[in-house]
Amino acid sequence: MKKLISLLLVLTMLLTLAACGQTGKNEEVTPAATEAAAPETEAAVPETEAALPETEAPVTHYPVTVTDHAGREVVIEEEPQKLVSGYYISTSLLIALDLDEKLVGIEAKANKRAIYALAAPELIDLPNVGTAKEFDLEGCAALEPDLVILPIKLKGAVETLEGLGIDVLLVNPENQELLTGMIHMIAAATNTEEKAAALLGFTMEQETMLRAAMSGAETPSVYLAGNSSLLSTAGNAMYQSDMIRLAGGANVAAEIEDTYWVEIDYEQLLTWNPDYIILASDATYTVEDVLADPNLADCAAVVNGNVYQLPNKAEAWDSPVPSGILGALWLANVLHGDLLTDADCADRIDEYYETFYDFTYSES
Amino acid sequence: MKPSTISLTAKAKYYCAAGATILIALAVAGLFVGKYPLSLEKLLAGDPMHWRVFLTLRLSRTVVGVVGGFALGVAGFVYQTVFRNPLASPDIIGVSSGASAGAAAGILFLSGSMAVTVSAFAGALLAVVFALALSGLDRSGKNSTIVLAGIAVHSLAQTALMCLKLTADPERELASIEYWIMGSLNGISVYSIGGNLILCVVCLGILFLLHRQVILLSAEEGEARMLGVNVGALRLAVLLVATLVVASVVSLSGLISFVGLLAPHGARLLTKHNRIGTMLLSGLTGSVLLCGADILARSVAATELPVSIFTSILGAPFLIFLIVRGRKQL
Repeated sequence: MKKLISLLLVLTMLLTLAACGQTGKNEEVTPAATEAAAPETEAAVPETEAALPETEAPVTHYPVTVTDHAGREVVIEEEPQKLVSGYYISTSLLIALDLDEKLVGIEAKANKRAIYALAAPELIDLPNVGTAKEFDLEGCAALEPDLVILPIKLKGAVETLEGLGIDVLLVNPENQELLTGMIHMIAAATNTEEKAAALLGFTMEQETMLRAAMSGAETPSVYLAGNSSLLSTAGNAMYQSDMIRLAGGANVAAEIEDTYWVEIDYEQLLTWNPDYIILASDATYTVEDVLADPNLADCAAVVNGNVYQLPNKAEAWDSPVPSGILGALWLANVLHGDLLTDADCADRIDEYYETFYDFTYSES
Repeated sequence: MKPSTISLTAKAKYYCAAGATILIALAVAGLFVGKYPLSLEKLLAGDPMHWRVFLTLRLSRTVVGVVGGFALGVAGFVYQTVFRNPLASPDIIGVSSGASAGAAAGILFLSGSMAVTVSAFAGALLAVVFALALSGLDRSGKNSTIVLAGIAVHSLAQTALMCLKLTADPERELASIEYWIMGSLNGISVYSIGGNLILCVVCLGILFLLHRQVILLSAEEGEARMLGVNVGALRLAVLLVATLVVASVVSLSGLISFVGLLAPHGARLLTKHNRIGTMLLSGLTGSVLLCGADILARSVAATELPVSIFTSILGAPFLIFLIVRGRKQL
């Protein structure tokens, strides 16, 4: 009997531990995981192409029914005039869709987003409705918005807001396909489909150009170092891996199938021995730190001085934001300066921000 | 003093020899398990790249596994003995939570490769000095006062950590803080361990020199006093040294759960007493646990896993096995 009890105890213990490990993992996945982005991005292409050739400006006829990322069907009776966005990705999109003047409230810490200061400084002083961690339900309701756009993490707030007669769209732009879906969804709800088509058209155009330019070119190996530390990286299933591929590089961490940033050690990095080390936009360490790291003194990227950081002057292009394609352009210029010249790359980036955000990136 | 309280019994000797053998085997295995394909032939052939990886990364990581595990085990033994409390662990006087808050502050506000290690160390030390100072306000010098002061400081440090987490950017700083708290030996290289290792080894030496006094502290206070021990001052000194040991390890590796609690229990269940042999065996058990866990953490998946997962998975069943075995023998 005692044997049996002890056996049971051990089993329970192990199961609990396994469950604990699992929970930790799940929590990690939530923030900006990019599940199986690779194959589905391709699938999303025809949809956006279809949106391109339309000559007549599409107009939303209200009431309109849109399906959000939580699978909810939301009926919007008339064109929303007061908007609240509780997520920086949707806020950035609203600026691109020329809707920033309709915004009455945005997510917390807006003053930390460079793109707002550059393109719509008035947003910084708007009332904030909190973060995905701490959402200010009452504060949001007090703004009396017609439409509230929230990250899917905040689905708990939906019922209350709907009870107050406020329409809510939940968005989850964690990969290119979902981002495209989010752009269509918000455009349909706010009668801005023409602008959205132009925005998606720009991305498509650059993708096509990059594919053509990079076909047949060598693919240098790239290690993408994450925001939190040099030893965190993005595996094959992540958005960032697609960016590297599109830019004509090969992600050294492609063998890793995790859907969120993973930790590796110096030995792994030396084994991969990448030609380039690229630091994420918001890295908490610098290119100089990496070049001076004695553990990497033999790494090809460090030996040849090929360590760069994605720009963070406007937005983090290494995350699924509407301007994400600019990350691939920038990286293609770094990896293949002969195929995409500095001037060409800078022009394309300027074109994007001048068209959709009304400022000149290279002069900001 | 009876000599038997300090000398190694035959049983303890036997277990220590067994522990040391397992440890040596694990350490050797640890030298040849890892992501870089090191091979003995290349090393013998003098391949410079292989030697550099071996010396700067693999060897230092293994050394930290051995010394760190030993340190956590011995410190756990000291805490449990001094507090006469089987649940005492470095956290009881706020070391771990102080280190976590310190590391979080380092991640948020400082830059440089050693910033987090230094600020975690400072956090741990600050928490413990504060706890001991608080307990000094009560002149009666009771054990429970230190424990209560420790609990208060622990809560304060947790609150500070929570505030720091709240201000952290969820996608980079918060992730760094969480990873740090989970503990891992993945960033360790010869360039980052020198100071911590020296401090740790020196403090361990002091603890072993003071082992008679440590064990005396476990006696009733009156009894210890009769034996001519200045209980209050000695306790403070021993706790401070044990804290330095823990702080020097966790500031390098992040929190490593369970080793400090489990190793002394395992050792006591094996030797059935509380003497220097048990102290040594606590250290060896800690080493074996951490080395084994680290080998798994770096090899079972394509990525690095937090070492605490494995110290708990390996340690918990071992502890339960010892408890059940102990019951049977009664």
